Amino acid sequence: MAAIDTDLAVSPASATEPRWYPYALIAPAMITFVLVALVPFLFAVFISFHQMKYGRLGDFAGFENYGALLSDSRFWNSMAIAALFVAIAVPLEFMLGLAGALMLCRPIWGRSALVPLLFIPTTMAPIVVGLLWKIMLAGSWGLLSTNVIEPLGLVGEISIFASPDLALYALIFVDVWQWTPFMMLAFFAGLQALPVNPYRAAAVDGATPVQAFFRLTLPMMAPLLVVIGLLRLIDAFKVFDSIFILTGGGPGTSTEMPSVLAYKMTFEFWNIGEASALAVVVWLLFFAFCNVFYQLAKKKLNAF
Amino acid sequence: MSTGTERRQRAARQKVAWTLLAVAVALLVLFPVLWMASMMVKPSDVMFARPTVWLFTPTLEHFDYVIEQGFHLSLLTSLALGALSTALVVVLGTPAAYAFARYEMRGRDDLFLFILATRMAPPVCMVIPYYLIFARIGLLDSFAGLTLAYMTFNLSFYIWVLRSFCRDLPVELEEAALLEGWSRLQVFRRVVFPLLRNGIIATAMLCFIFAWNEFLFAFMLGGKAVKTLPVAIPTLITTQGVRWGEMAVVGMVALTPVMIAVFLLQRHIVRGLTMGAVKG
Repeated sequence: MAAIDTDLAVSPASATEPRWYPYALIAPAMITFVLVALVPFLFAVFISFHQMKYGRLGDFAGFENYGALLSDSRFWNSMAIAALFVAIAVPLEFMLGLAGALMLCRPIWGRSALVPLLFIPTTMAPIVVGLLWKIMLAGSWGLLSTNVIEPLGLVGEISIFASPDLALYALIFVDVWQWTPFMMLAFFAGLQALPVNPYRAAAVDGATPVQAFFRLTLPMMAPLLVVIGLLRLIDAFKVFDSIFILTGGGPGTSTEMPSVLAYKMTFEFWNIGEASALAVVVWLLFFAFCNVFYQLAKKKLNAF
Repeated sequence: MSTGTERRQRAARQKVAWTLLAVAVALLVLFPVLWMASMMVKPSDVMFARPTVWLFTPTLEHFDYVIEQGFHLSLLTSLALGALSTALVVVLGTPAAYAFARYEMRGRDDLFLFILATRMAPPVCMVIPYYLIFARIGLLDSFAGLTLAYMTFNLSFYIWVLRSFCRDLPVELEEAALLEGWSRLQVFRRVVFPLLRNGIIATAMLCFIFAWNEFLFAFMLGGKAVKTLPVAIPTLITTQGVRWGEMAVVGMVALTPVMIAVFLLQRHIVRGLTMGAVKG
């Protein structure tokens, strides 16, 4: 069904309504947004241009905090780790999710019971997910540590989360476990909405299922795949809770994503000026991501 | 005739095969959750025994400790905070979502993008200014402060997703009612609201889950008086070691409302989690 063009959906009676009416409807929400989003953001911008260590606001500092941030190797390290994390986790989730969605499209008994069960990892609190994988992987006693990792000789006596080489990959694994079901069910919903007729025609023409997938399914699904992939990319970049409980950014700085670094800068080093600069930089980055997501979803999916 | 039966048999065999595969995948994915559930009643001495102990006599010792440590208070805090913030979101967000879906307004798309950006911003960027502001005006460790902070991600989420539900409603009904001479408020109450109710409930339930699951704000801006369940969980990592069984109990308790919600929400959940980009 084509989306209704809401711009044309202004009611005929709206001429008799005062012009301020819609603004009155959105006013309470917009005032709340000013208070809870705009004010904190502007406050962070304000602090980022001042010296601030510990609790006291110091002198105006110009771009000093930004300079310090951009010459801080720890900042670039965190960006590189985030890039690696996203570059491995999101494509994995994407491909596994697509495979799972195609599987769900096959004839299956009890699909309607299976689908909500598969949603459980995605809707779990990230802190509980972290805890869950601590139980499975931590130390030499975790269930998988004892029965899988040790026999394979991946790491010795220590926890996989304490290994500088492998900790990041363990976190990626946890992210994949939590978010592949999301991709799978979003793609599944998309696949179910595809029209049947092109497939019938292709079957009549003797196309194989593989041909049908590459010639029909992929092109028709492409906008949805892109939008969902981007949404996941945005979310993966800001992962915090599970890292916080599993590695705390360590060992060393090997799993220190920007969100973890911002947290440490603020609440461990109390270097609030530079932390605010980091927050502002990440914020602007997200705003750009977010704009791309919005434009793509609007144009290609006719959503919003 | 025989080819027809053969084809049917083949289809049935394929269905069995695909069902088995799907169930196997689901079991593999959910195995850690099942394992954690079993740890709730697993005695401490065999918890991490090597080789792994699969069969044991169930015990309730972990539940006793959890109650003793006052985790039920955290449960109540989480429920209260989730309910309070969700109720406020519904009150503030419903008219806004409706207006965004139905009216032409100056700068509507820009405002809408601002709302999306509010939703997408990393919480850790928010928590820094929040902490400093709240410390100044005395809102740290209060229900009011956390409810406000939860507005950032939940009010924006609610407006965004509910607008997509609003847009699915047929405009013609509202127009007919307006032509009958009903006021906008009457139209909203008698026409729009009944049609929108399921969307409101589904979106509000997702908001509750986000509040319920939230960790960073609750951890940094809450603390002693307002200690939610996710914040209470890490306190089981004590200097005397980790209380694994207790963690499993609290973890499963934290998971229960989420699982209930997932089963009730079913097809709405995809739309919610994709910000309305995919209609479930």
